[in-house]
Amino acid sequence: MIIRAESLTKHYRVKVRDPGLRGALRSVFRPRYREVVAVESVTFGIREGEIVGFLGPNGAGKTTMIKMLAGLLYPTRGRAVVAGYDPWTGGAAFRSRFALVLGNKQQLVWDLPPEETFLLNRAIYAVSWPDYRRRVDELVGLLRLEDVLGKPVRQLSQGERMKCELAAALIHHPRILFLDEPTLGLDITAQETIRAFVRDYRDRTGATVLLTSHYMADVTALADRVLIINHGRLLYDGALGALAERIAPVKRVELTFSREVAGAEVERFGVVRSREPRRATLEVPRDGVAQVSGRLLSELPVADLTISDPPIEEVIGRVFAGETGAGAP
Amino acid sequence: MRVEATTSRQPPSPRGVSRLRRLAAVLRAFWAVNLAEELQYRANLLASVVGTGFWLGTAVLTAAVFFRQTPALGGWSFWQVVALLGVFNAVAGVVEAVLRPNVGRIVEHVRRGTMDLILSKPVDAQFQVTFRRIVIWRGVDIVLGLGLTAAALVIGGRWPGIVEVVAFVVALAAAVAIAYAIWLGLMSLAFWFVAVENLSILFDALYESARFPVTAYPGAIRFVLTYLVPMAWITTVPAGALTGRVGPGFALVSALVAAAALALTRLLWRVALRRYTSAGG
Repeated sequence: MIIRAESLTKHYRVKVRDPGLRGALRSVFRPRYREVVAVESVTFGIREGEIVGFLGPNGAGKTTMIKMLAGLLYPTRGRAVVAGYDPWTGGAAFRSRFALVLGNKQQLVWDLPPEETFLLNRAIYAVSWPDYRRRVDELVGLLRLEDVLGKPVRQLSQGERMKCELAAALIHHPRILFLDEPTLGLDITAQETIRAFVRDYRDRTGATVLLTSHYMADVTALADRVLIINHGRLLYDGALGALAERIAPVKRVELTFSREVAGAEVERFGVVRSREPRRATLEVPRDGVAQVSGRLLSELPVADLTISDPPIEEVIGRVFAGETGAGAP
Repeated sequence: MRVEATTSRQPPSPRGVSRLRRLAAVLRAFWAVNLAEELQYRANLLASVVGTGFWLGTAVLTAAVFFRQTPALGGWSFWQVVALLGVFNAVAGVVEAVLRPNVGRIVEHVRRGTMDLILSKPVDAQFQVTFRRIVIWRGVDIVLGLGLTAAALVIGGRWPGIVEVVAFVVALAAAVAIAYAIWLGLMSLAFWFVAVENLSILFDALYESARFPVTAYPGAIRFVLTYLVPMAWITTVPAGALTGRVGPGFALVSALVAAAALALTRLLWRVALRRYTSAGG
């Protein structure tokens, strides 16, 4: 296990302030505080070379989790061991082992070409010149940064900038990548480039990747495993596919008809998720899908039929709605 | 709350010479980047020279007006006060070239969260926030300031001896360290109150008092400027050591004050970081 978290817990004390002038004055002289639970008793382990995604709505505790593992926040309770170090006392040696990329914060020097930031990080991480040149060549090749290297960062597109942020964070060849919202605000193509790169990088170097994202696509495309967090609690830990089977043991059947079909005729076969005169989407139990498909084909004027899993967003939505229903295995 | 790891595979962190060599390499990289940044704004050089020249002229003229009324200011002659104005300007140059663009930016790092990126790097965070930038054009202030001091010594007709020069160098280094400590102390408050950039105006206001020898002020204020907000150590002591108004022993005391101030702010910085890492969002 390269990362182990045991009962990690983080509570914040937040100042409560009543609205208006009176409230402002009162909060200066008699401050009142409220405990906010950011992360509550979360336990998990991550093996070397895994790509694990944190999923959860805004404020679920994903970023707090990453900051604790990177040693930037002390936990209220619990412990963690990351790359063999205690993150809060590991010091410089520990900090050389990981890279932290925050999608909404930038380390590139704004007015200069990205290569200047690479050089800065070379000095900070004490990377030798031969290693530096080899890694920069490799990263420039993988991320296709040839045309970008010489331009000031302020002239780069958001996607180019994020690619350079990643490259800058990898100059020291970290064993662990903490990526917090790495595709935030990027267009689809740029998102896909970043995803492909992260997967490729893991395959080449065996690095461990922990990422958080709003975008389900990031996680479904990349993560071998997901940790679903809401209100600071771990709701699910396992493969995405297994999640769909546990939470939503159904398949989705999409039908196109050669003529208009009445609602009542379709409802006999399963739960109707959507219906137009010539189209319908049904949900049927996973183990009965073959039999139902056969009956649909013989009893209705079916022109086309596809079977798929329900979209992962919906599955996750059910986890959040149920909360206690899933539980970590 | 801190948690101890059971697997105590703590590697030897770099110490002594190799640690210093590493910091020197980081410093070189900081300044190489910085030079490249600053070269984009070459017009600033001209603005600096003109601005500082103008400021120095006004300051000397103001002092001259005072000296039409009195032969001495707090026991200091006109040319001694001009030497002090040179020191005042040189230290102000250090503030503008190094302190404001670095230490003054801590607030921004805390507010925008880039402090997280700094803290995730394997180099001391205080070192990173102190030395990342130099506004090299403001180095002009340092050169012109020291030039004014030298000119005042020549025209004043009292050339310092070697002991006085050494005492001056020690006291000036201590003065820079004290100014740094005050800045870092003020800006560390950002970790508690976030919006503290106005505290740099507080420094500017206090620093104005260092334009005159501390002996020119009445007793109570002199006490405050010497012991509470140690402005007296920033200009009066170095200029006094150079012009013989203050014994060379004061330079040593000044070095002790600087060491104490640095140690105290280092402590405050660590407490502040601790608070940041146990609270922040």
